[in-house]
Amino acid sequence: MTGDDRLPGHVCWAYDDQRSFAVEAERFLLAGLAAGERVRYVTSGPADRVTDHLAGQPVFAAAVARGAAEVVSLASTYHPGGTVEPATQIATYAAATDAALAAGHTGLRVVADATDLVRTPAQREQFARYEHRIDRWMRTRPFRAMCAYNRLELGGPAVAELACLHPAGNIEDPLFRLFAAAPGAGDVELTGELDTANRQLFRTALDRADLRPVDGELVVRATALRFLDHHAMTTLNEYAHRRGATAVLRTSRPGTARLVSLLDLRTLRVEVTR
Amino acid sequence: MRTGAAAQHKGYYHEAIRYDSDEDLLAVVLPFLLGGVEAGEPTFVALGERTGGLVRSALPTGCGVRYLPGGAVYARPAGAIRSYRQLLAEQVAAGAHQIRIVGELSPPMFGATWDWWARYESAINHAYDDFPLWSMCAYDTRLTPEAVLTDVARTHPRFATPDGGHIPSATWTPPETYLRENRPIVPDPIQAGPPTLELVDPTASEARAAVYRADRGRLPADDVDDLVVAVSETVTNALRHGRPPVRLRLWTGEDRVVVSVRDGGPGPTDPYAGLLPAANGSTGGLGLWITHQSCSHVALHREPDGFTLRLIAGNPD
Repeated sequence: MTGDDRLPGHVCWAYDDQRSFAVEAERFLLAGLAAGERVRYVTSGPADRVTDHLAGQPVFAAAVARGAAEVVSLASTYHPGGTVEPATQIATYAAATDAALAAGHTGLRVVADATDLVRTPAQREQFARYEHRIDRWMRTRPFRAMCAYNRLELGGPAVAELACLHPAGNIEDPLFRLFAAAPGAGDVELTGELDTANRQLFRTALDRADLRPVDGELVVRATALRFLDHHAMTTLNEYAHRRGATAVLRTSRPGTARLVSLLDLRTLRVEVTR
Repeated sequence: MRTGAAAQHKGYYHEAIRYDSDEDLLAVVLPFLLGGVEAGEPTFVALGERTGGLVRSALPTGCGVRYLPGGAVYARPAGAIRSYRQLLAEQVAAGAHQIRIVGELSPPMFGATWDWWARYESAINHAYDDFPLWSMCAYDTRLTPEAVLTDVARTHPRFATPDGGHIPSATWTPPETYLRENRPIVPDPIQAGPPTLELVDPTASEARAAVYRADRGRLPADDVDDLVVAVSETVTNALRHGRPPVRLRLWTGEDRVVVSVRDGGPGPTDPYAGLLPAANGSTGGLGLWITHQSCSHVALHREPDGFTLRLIAGNPD
């Protein structure tokens, strides 16, 4: 699925075994090479083993030879064990994207196994904030990324905290996704389902997304959101209120507007767009 | 400051009118309405088309009585309570010392959905007691079944009579008692057949998906969305506040979908659950209230070993 260029460019890949992840990673990067992008494979361990493996594949070997592909270790790109500083890391990728464009590529595509960057709650908190920041940034730049997380080592709930901040991925666990809306389509987009099962995760995701109101409004595109319950409505209302804004929920379901009016939520407005 | 029969009363003065002729209805209603207008009290008529027209033509033109649209207000009990509480709060905020309303439920409500309108008539004794309201609920005994009249007598503290009397109802039952009585749910005819689907201990998400699958395009999309909201809230409540197993059964008819959700718990303890948003943070109160706002009928039933909520979307009759 990740080889499909119509999909959003920010994919979360939760894996239980290295081999299945390697297959997906290679497929993702090959799609990038086919689209004329420069590709980068960020490995959790030393880069050598992956480099050797890819050297056996002619397409990758040729791409490495002409500077279109590289394999680097996580340690050389991030600071494992520490926390990621979002602005600095985005600036690094912005420079790398510019360099790829300057070298005649159509953009930059990265696979990163970020497991070592999110082992503690403090790391996860910071990295999740970074995930949304870069998600927003890559909406405007020719940059695509697959963020991989080892589910056996991190556990399902920890991976869900990160997966829900990606527009695409291989697990439905969090039941919802919160990501940057396409330019002109609002501030943020919600898909999936919001109910009591993921109520706390939704609150956490909103806090980490750290949405900034524009002209007193936070526009939430929810036309692909299958369901939201009254707790989720209340959460959005309170979130907007705390930020001195009104949340504008764009949905295709008139029932949502009726329910919001029943609940007297003063800082949540529904716009039905059929 | 209050006038008329309710002058010394605090809170809600709730009466029923039992009439079997237009003359009797007018004999009670006209002095009630004109007395309100004369005293400067906000005075409203919320009657159906025929009786409303009868009263309107009997009143002097431009006398100051206001007419409420009956239909939408009386779509669902929980919605009616919400609308009336808003109206009453507005009137009090504007300085009203008493508000007078004469209203009626329409005969179609005396059928399969009467039980929740009976609960409405009982619950409003509490729900409107925050306000200096004097209201009369009119029942035409020629059109009202005996069983309904029995409930009317139990849910109204007194009757207004054509001779100007205000007679206590001998069988009046306070709402905390009436609403805790356990009435069996009258099965919808389609429940006689095997359910279209049955789920045990579903997640709310699985229950929602099952409702969408089962509808097969029979109901309008908005009705299905509303039923999904109701089922989701009901299953969530059963999982959080009830006891396993949670058993969901769904029947699909030509013009309706019937869903029953049973769990092994005792059900809500709040007698007003579903009709009012929530009382003092009672568990699951808001979800049950939303459920009552989202279906065309909701019935609840307690058994020694479980609690059942039955929801109908589409035609409940």
